[in-house]
Amino acid sequence: MSEFLQALVNLVMLGGFYALMVMGFSLIWGVMGVINLAHGEFVLMGAYLTWVMNRHLGWEPLVALVVVLPAMFLFGYLLQRVLINRIIDRHHLVSLLVTYGLAIIVANSLKLVFTGTPRSLTTALGGFWRVGDVTIPVVKTYDLAIALVMMGALSLLLRRTRLGKSVRAAAQNRQAARMVGVNIASVFAVTFGLGVAFTGAAGTLFGLTQPIAPFVGLPLTLRAFAITTMAGLGNIRGALFGSFALAAVEVFIGTYVPRVGTNLGLVATFVVLVVILVLRPQGLFGGLTPVEET
Amino acid sequence: MTLRLITDDLRPMRAGRRRATLVLIAVLAILPLATLIGEGNGWINNSTLFSMTQMLMLVTLASNWNFISGFTGYVDFGHAAFFGLGAYSTGILMVKAGWPFFPTLAIGAVTAALAAVMIGRATMHLKGPYFSIAMLGTFAALREIVRVARPLTGGGPGLSLPPYLNRPLFYYLALTQAVLVVGLYRWLRGTEFGAMMVSIRENERGAEMRGINTLGVKLMAFTVAAASTGLVGGMWAYQNTFIDPDIVFLDSRTIEMALASVVGGLGTIVGPVVGSGLLYWMRDIVWASFLQWHLVIEGTILIAVVLAMPNGVMGLVGGRPGIDLIRLWVRRGRQ
Repeated sequence: MSEFLQALVNLVMLGGFYALMVMGFSLIWGVMGVINLAHGEFVLMGAYLTWVMNRHLGWEPLVALVVVLPAMFLFGYLLQRVLINRIIDRHHLVSLLVTYGLAIIVANSLKLVFTGTPRSLTTALGGFWRVGDVTIPVVKTYDLAIALVMMGALSLLLRRTRLGKSVRAAAQNRQAARMVGVNIASVFAVTFGLGVAFTGAAGTLFGLTQPIAPFVGLPLTLRAFAITTMAGLGNIRGALFGSFALAAVEVFIGTYVPRVGTNLGLVATFVVLVVILVLRPQGLFGGLTPVEET
Repeated sequence: MTLRLITDDLRPMRAGRRRATLVLIAVLAILPLATLIGEGNGWINNSTLFSMTQMLMLVTLASNWNFISGFTGYVDFGHAAFFGLGAYSTGILMVKAGWPFFPTLAIGAVTAALAAVMIGRATMHLKGPYFSIAMLGTFAALREIVRVARPLTGGGPGLSLPPYLNRPLFYYLALTQAVLVVGLYRWLRGTEFGAMMVSIRENERGAEMRGINTLGVKLMAFTVAAASTGLVGGMWAYQNTFIDPDIVFLDSRTIEMALASVVGGLGTIVGPVVGSGLLYWMRDIVWASFLQWHLVIEGTILIAVVLAMPNGVMGLVGGRPGIDLIRLWVRRGRQ
């Protein structure tokens, strides 16, 4: 029983991280139709940026978010202007090849700059809370809290502000949005910047719970894709559910399948993903229609 | 457009081109003799031969990738999974069962083909990016399965194969396979099967309406490509004498195949051959001195070629167009 409760707690923690991580991916795909295969590498950029401030300036990792967010926003904004803007509206082959190229560039640059040695963040938020037999790492509760706060902020931004309105308008019908005076190019650049900023912030949380290495980005991209597809495009509530569902699959396999469990999480993810895609290509919760024809 | 593409390839090969092809094959075939003479002169040596072998393997791999991705339009981001299956078939059979090398190659190809049928039956229902990423996932998942199945695969520490450093043997194996595979694809391209593949790429729903069994054609193409890739994997494993999950299921392996095809010209027969040659030439000459940068440079080239030279080199020199990435500018489907 306590094993089950522990798994449940781990599930919530992991799910919170996934939910924050997937926001940027889902936003970019939903608004621009670009599947960003460099997503996991952007998570790592955020993580390494945090590590630099943690290691060299002695900042608490969560405090580093005040730098990570604007820095990653700027990076995303410029990247959209220079590169991504050229692949919007083109065949998915083009955007997949370009973002995959980007992923390779970022991962290998990270390796050149930071070497392949895994890095970890030092935090004052060590230790555990114990409730009965269940242990909860303190740092993970902060992770979860930050993730929820940031998701709430993003949701408010999209629902309540003028900018959010333009973003949603651009996602729904670009032509009409342009007609009512939305500057599509700038909305896209800001959206990409926002997506990358949130992804970078997820990197900070990532670094708090596991070692940072240059080549662990791909599994993160794959999970983001799995969750987004499960949820349906541009569906925040669906993405939340998808994150927790995926975390549940991974945590329960990790808990109950001895020894090999954690490695098989990714395998299970993909079996689930392919089954869902074959049975319900529109995702479990609807949302925008996926790209049917190529 | 579609019609022109298909009839183009039904024409017999021009005499000049056929002669050039034969000369190229002949030169490649006598190259190892040059190492006997040239050893010591420094202009050609065993490491050149090794590098040429790698290049010929890439010719085969890129042609396989291009066969499925360029001709049917199903972009396979996990094709290296079949390379891994071939490598591990050879590795496991040689190390754990003590088999000789050649039979393991056949088993590797069959394993890859069977896996392709099973994986393809699930993933080939998916369209566009969903297929691509499901394959990327299959690839990553297979790497973890191999890592976990330690009793069989040696897990993370890997397997050491019996060392056998006969460079000319691997060279000729790679050359033979490259010639046969490129020839096979060229022949298939001109048959009805080739026309059906391209029709799937151009308009899958239309092809279905004309009575083409699209799933069957896709699966067949996928299986042929996978079997050939599995064969390369087996050769590579024996040549490398050591395999572990990370070097066999290398992330950049699929990128290499894609890069060679895109640089040469996606959806053409000659494209992957030219692309592989160029890639190795650049690697040896242009950036041999910044080796650790080579993946960064390759990623940059991939992006640059996709955006600026969408027909690849074959497009520049006036070859037959395969996929014109510009033609696909307007996104279809979702509005």
